[in-house]
Amino acid sequence: MKLPRKKLTASVPSFAMGDIGFLLLIFFVILARAQDDSHIQWEPAKLADVEMAAAPLASVAIDSGYKAYLDGKEIAPEEIAARLSTILGDTPAGQRNVFLKIHREATAKNFEPVIAAISEAGGDLVHILEPEENPTAP
Amino acid sequence: MKLNRGKMLIDPPASASSDIAFILIIFFLVCAAVQPETGLAQVLPKTEEQEEKTKQSQNLEVSITPTSIVLNGSPLQLPEFAQRLTAALQQKTKEADRIVVVKSSPDTPYPTWIRVSQIIEQAGGILTLELESNRTIQVD
Repeated sequence: MKLPRKKLTASVPSFAMGDIGFLLLIFFVILARAQDDSHIQWEPAKLADVEMAAAPLASVAIDSGYKAYLDGKEIAPEEIAARLSTILGDTPAGQRNVFLKIHREATAKNFEPVIAAISEAGGDLVHILEPEENPTAP
Repeated sequence: MKLNRGKMLIDPPASASSDIAFILIIFFLVCAAVQPETGLAQVLPKTEEQEEKTKQSQNLEVSITPTSIVLNGSPLQLPEFAQRLTAALQQKTKEADRIVVVKSSPDTPYPTWIRVSQIIEQAGGILTLELESNRTIQVD
């Protein structure tokens, strides 16, 4: 014998649609900025006449401990070129922006191999710097 | 004469407070994430090894150390360096002649290097790095 079951209907309240849409929008905004390197400890150098930087395809950083990072993950400088080439792929020149965040106390022995690696990968280098308020000669 | 009005008490529903807090957290997270970044763009052609060493000697050479900037053997201060470099590059008409070879000592600080790099670019030079491993990078 079959027992008739009551049909249960579950509907999403329509007044919550606005909230759901808003949260989804924010979720995708955050997801689009997945290259998070905010945990890296570094202080930018100051320079006069800096410009607004366009969105990057990758971000390379050298922190206060002079360790190199690619998109927030620690990497050896000699591995940067190969990994960066993969990330940049066949993107046309002019759109191959790579942010370079170098801690202000880093020296040439720390940053020159990294610049060489970005050059080897064919990246459009953008040094991330802080605008100098009162530019003076050193 | 004052009329006494009945007080209207409207409490926001307590069940919504967690939603409000969550949306506020996300709002501040997004605000922190979308701070615009400023910088100096440099177009880097792919790394090339310099084959003609004789040609390299005709280019302007800049040596950077923590305490000095040397242009073709003459130690200069930064403002003077900018003037001398601009004057030297104005005489050069061909693009190949505007190459400026930069050699940095290993202890050159980044702020000094980036200032020199900006001056070379503003003077119309094509920055070329000469690394210790004899690799040469062109920076436009």
